[in-house]
Amino acid sequence: MGGMLGSFTILRQLSFFSDALGHSALLGISLGVLLGLNPSVVVLPFAVLFALGVTYLLTHTRLWTDALLNVIYSSSLAISIIILSFVGQYKGGLNNLLFGDILAIGPGDLVASGLLLLVCTLFIGLTLRTQILLTLHEPLAIARGISVNSHRTTFIVLLALVVAISIKAIGVLLVSAFVVIPACAARLLSRTFTSYVLGSAGLGALSAVLGMGVSAAFNLPSGPSIVATQLVFFVIAMGLPAVLVKLTS
Amino acid sequence: MPETVLSVEGLTVYRETYRAVKDVSLTLEAGTDTALVGPNGAGKSTLVQAILGILPRQSGKIVILGKPLSRRGVLSPEVRQQIAYLPQHFPFDRRLPMTVEELVGLGWDRLGLQLPWAHYRRRRQAVQEALAQVEGAHLRQQPLSGLSGGEIKRVLLAYCLVRPRRLLILDEAPTGLDARGESGFYQLLYRLKQEQGWTILQISHDLDMVRRRCDRVLCLNRRLLCQGSPAIALSPDNLSAAYGSEFVPYHHHH
Repeated sequence: MGGMLGSFTILRQLSFFSDALGHSALLGISLGVLLGLNPSVVVLPFAVLFALGVTYLLTHTRLWTDALLNVIYSSSLAISIIILSFVGQYKGGLNNLLFGDILAIGPGDLVASGLLLLVCTLFIGLTLRTQILLTLHEPLAIARGISVNSHRTTFIVLLALVVAISIKAIGVLLVSAFVVIPACAARLLSRTFTSYVLGSAGLGALSAVLGMGVSAAFNLPSGPSIVATQLVFFVIAMGLPAVLVKLTS
Repeated sequence: MPETVLSVEGLTVYRETYRAVKDVSLTLEAGTDTALVGPNGAGKSTLVQAILGILPRQSGKIVILGKPLSRRGVLSPEVRQQIAYLPQHFPFDRRLPMTVEELVGLGWDRLGLQLPWAHYRRRRQAVQEALAQVEGAHLRQQPLSGLSGGEIKRVLLAYCLVRPRRLLILDEAPTGLDARGESGFYQLLYRLKQEQGWTILQISHDLDMVRRRCDRVLCLNRRLLCQGSPAIALSPDNLSAAYGSEFVPYHHHH
């Protein structure tokens, strides 16, 4: 899931945005704890509202995107830690929130995850050409009658949901890497757009499975294990073209 | 009775607080090649983008192929399929992984909900034919990042041609093409108009070409100053009204 959406995320230069989404989820969780609600349930709508709010801010103020996002995610991180310190020891521990805990994932999460995966696949799969044209050149897309705003908004909402759901396994700090690294690795390896999207999704899935295996085998935190696996793929992707050139010359 | 392809009434477009296009009305008939001329900053690109719904308009009515363009740029999908637009600038991120074949293929797809692998064979054939028409067949597998400006123009033209259209809107299309490419381009436009009945609206700075090839000329400098056949519209009086009295048209001899 992360890989699939990640392919478009880095091209639309939203990777910082997904980082901000991750940190904001921490705020959502801590608010949920403060209000006595189940944090996993709170974080999903919170992430969507947050994403829509940030998009609105970005389009209606003339500030630089990265500076504004920096302001937002640092402050949400600060506020959420303050809230958590008032609440006392969070059941899962701050470490698990920041870095993910595979053991905390229950069947409900898996079902939600699977559902979201289906929705994402359907959305990207059925509107692939539209998404490609949108990312390439917006005026051309508008000239073809594509409703740019609604597509953009849908994408942001999906991204927010994916980030929110992945927080449990990957943790707040690393969730944006989870979205971005497979896409970057796939970009290094693909020539056509279609192979890029498929590669990004494939690498994302593969690294998630391998990473979880590593974390279970060696008793390491799950989030960093998955991201480290993705990093290995990325380094291989960087080196592969050069190796292939050496081999074929 | 020739069919009206495009009808614009009282169009006013603002760019921020600046009134870029003021109260323009025009009609385009099927199978004609109309040129839109005017000095830089006259609002030609703005006019065209407002007609396509890319820029919002302050007031005015726009009807394309019998269907209206709403205030927010919504137009019936069947009509959208019949319009092709070749923009003046094509700033795209060169880090995007895309081949020429994919870009031209995007022009072929209907862009609704569809399976990503649908119509693979037909799309590929249409792409090959379109690229052949613009003499770009050798570019098919090339990545976009490696193309020159002129090659990108050819590819964009193939993108417009890959499906039969009724209305082609070009914003200073031949910029970037070499001399041979430019004459081939105009011959292609002529063939499309004559053989397939395409209606063409082109923004151009090449007044000699306009004089020789176009059926009608619209002179724009925020307002529509004149419209008619090239002989009338490009008369010295009209030109000085559009471009200013110091203007001397450039004559090139072919």
